[in-house]
Amino acid sequence: MTRERRILHVDMDAFYASVEQRDNPSLRGKPVVVGGDTRGVVAAASYEARVFGIRSAMPMRDALRRCPNLNRVPPRMSHYQAVSNEVFAVFREFTPLVEGLSLDEAFLDVTESLQLFGDDVTIAREIKNRIRERTQLTASVGVASNKLVAKIASDLEKPDGLVVVTQDNMRATLDPLPVQVIPGIGKETLARLKRIPVNTVEDLRLASDRDLEPIFGKFTRRTRDRASGIDDRPVLSSRPDKSISAEETFDKDLGDRRDMHRHLLQLAERTAGRLRAKDLVAGTVQIKIRQADFTTCTRQRALRPPGNGTETIYQAAIKLLDEWLAEFPGIPVRLLGVGGCELARDAQPDLFAPELPAGGSQLDQAVDRIRNRFGDLSLGRARSMDPGQIR
Amino acid sequence: MKLTVGREALLKPLQAVIGVVERRQTMPILANVLLVAKNGEVAVTATDLEVELVAVAEVQVHTAGEVTVPGRKLLDICRALPDNAEISISQSGEKLSVKSGRSKFSLTTLPAAEFPTIDDINAGQSISVSQGTLGRLLEKTHFSMAQQDVRYYLNGLLLETSGTSLRTVATDGHRLALCEAELGKKMPDQQVIVPRKGVLELQRLMGGEGELKVELGSNHVRIQLEGIRFTSKLIDGRFPEYERVIPQDTKNALTADRGLFRAALQRTAILSNEKYRGIRLMIRENAMTLQAHNPEQEEAEEELEIQYTGEEIEIGFNVNYLLDALGAIESEEITLSLVDGNSSCLLRKPGKDDCKYVVMPMRL
Repeated sequence: MTRERRILHVDMDAFYASVEQRDNPSLRGKPVVVGGDTRGVVAAASYEARVFGIRSAMPMRDALRRCPNLNRVPPRMSHYQAVSNEVFAVFREFTPLVEGLSLDEAFLDVTESLQLFGDDVTIAREIKNRIRERTQLTASVGVASNKLVAKIASDLEKPDGLVVVTQDNMRATLDPLPVQVIPGIGKETLARLKRIPVNTVEDLRLASDRDLEPIFGKFTRRTRDRASGIDDRPVLSSRPDKSISAEETFDKDLGDRRDMHRHLLQLAERTAGRLRAKDLVAGTVQIKIRQADFTTCTRQRALRPPGNGTETIYQAAIKLLDEWLAEFPGIPVRLLGVGGCELARDAQPDLFAPELPAGGSQLDQAVDRIRNRFGDLSLGRARSMDPGQIR
Repeated sequence: MKLTVGREALLKPLQAVIGVVERRQTMPILANVLLVAKNGEVAVTATDLEVELVAVAEVQVHTAGEVTVPGRKLLDICRALPDNAEISISQSGEKLSVKSGRSKFSLTTLPAAEFPTIDDINAGQSISVSQGTLGRLLEKTHFSMAQQDVRYYLNGLLLETSGTSLRTVATDGHRLALCEAELGKKMPDQQVIVPRKGVLELQRLMGGEGELKVELGSNHVRIQLEGIRFTSKLIDGRFPEYERVIPQDTKNALTADRGLFRAALQRTAILSNEKYRGIRLMIRENAMTLQAHNPEQEEAEEELEIQYTGEEIEIGFNVNYLLDALGAIESEEITLSLVDGNSSCLLRKPGKDDCKYVVMPMRL
């Protein structure tokens, strides 16, 4: 029998919002959300904002309705990326097996680290301490024998929590929780379960196959395993980014080509900046177009050589958009997105421009530095500006 | 048009030109070949608007004429007929009839007048060169051409006349290959960029002996081979100043056995990252260590004896670029000249400058 694994799930508390409150003392203690304009969605909400029922992914309009005094901060993705790098560096001081789920969340397999650093609780405390010392931010940690339970545990005592689940207290911890803590149970499934009735994890664990099979089909067994806290998925380190993208929902649907180009440039600037922050180049550029009627399509083209320059990404994106516009002229557009995929490390300098990153330029690097300090809206190409926005 | 021809005599020109008959053509007529029958021969022309090939076969012309027919279908029919079959081709209305023995085919046609051809290229100079020499110039450099690069002028091969030498240069921005041949005759200095497609097609046609005539116009290059005329549009752009990126300071130069170096690289490469193909070379007095590792934490290490007295240097490369260059150099030993761990290196045959391979290092 193999030794029981010790898995940590570390989740930064209200990450983007906390970074903003840390960097700007006037925001501390106040409801803060990070997100774009009034038609966008909330990317992160501070705990003060959550009191009003504001959650991430909520439309900004709803958030403002719930809390008219809400402090809205434009996102600084490349800055969050840099803070995230500091946090992940702490993780790697304890184990090479780090599976990042996003900028602010990761699984760590510390099974082999116990001999070096002490038991799982000691490691979890030390990780929280080091994160606080280096970034002045708090994290919540769940400790368990697998990813499923660790993730559920990290959420139980947020913020600044530390919850340890062992074989002895597993049932007592999981059983009373609402059934939707089990991943894969969405709105539809939840409604069907309520009818059986299955409300808690315990209900699910004890429900009969006859009741569950119509709902979960061949996943019945796996679902019951999850309800019993069984999960043997490994922690996959070096899970590389598949794509990096930025998108925007507009206040008013766009019909004018020049307006679309202007927004495309802003999006290209954000995507390219994030690629550069991660030292990656994209081999494919993708755009996403959502029409006013919510029909959504994506178009992509290869980028040779792979690049991360704002102008390079932008040129590829407008070619794609113009091709789409030629096919669907005059259709109002609700959302545009620009992404890079087929990502690779920016490892091969060019013979004719050895000092530059692929496709990047000194201008891009200077813009990145300024945006890191003053926010994504602090500096941009004039062509990407709304004439009314320039003061 | 009416003619009679043996299967093999018609097969040869069709096979020669079929490479430029586009499969996904933008204009329907580009799927066709142009047949022009007169004076005891038929000329078969195919084009993709960038490269044009004309191949000639001796036939019995009963009635002169010209027409276009689907190229791949005509080739497939000829190929499928029995050996030494006699084929008679005749035009009737808008169809072309192809008969042989008991087989009969009727192909659609499009008017010859609509077929885009390149007639006069307004050649500024004409160079006489042996097929072997031109073939070598292409073979030693073509692999470094870029592919679908946004810097469109890199998606081809530079053909340059300079003094009495003819030179080819190809680069994808990561590595560069240069090869030159002494023609012993003064020529006007000229640079043209032949598109990638044209270079690959030309290589397919070469292999024979004898002299070639290379004509350079301002927009086209035309090469007359035995029975085949090759014409390619040129890439309208400025090739980068390649001389600037060829390292001149060669104080850290090592000499190694080409075969041993190549084999060591090939073995080490097995455990390099499949995506980046990175390999680390650690060079010190008379010895080189080659190292590679992959995301699975597997590692390879090789020791190689070399002749070297320069500074100790550690440098990373995409191993494919080194292997391509070593494959192209024709000598027992090679010289690898380095400046430092961040600058490009130069590979060539010791003491020879006619073929040069420049490779930019990788950050490992």
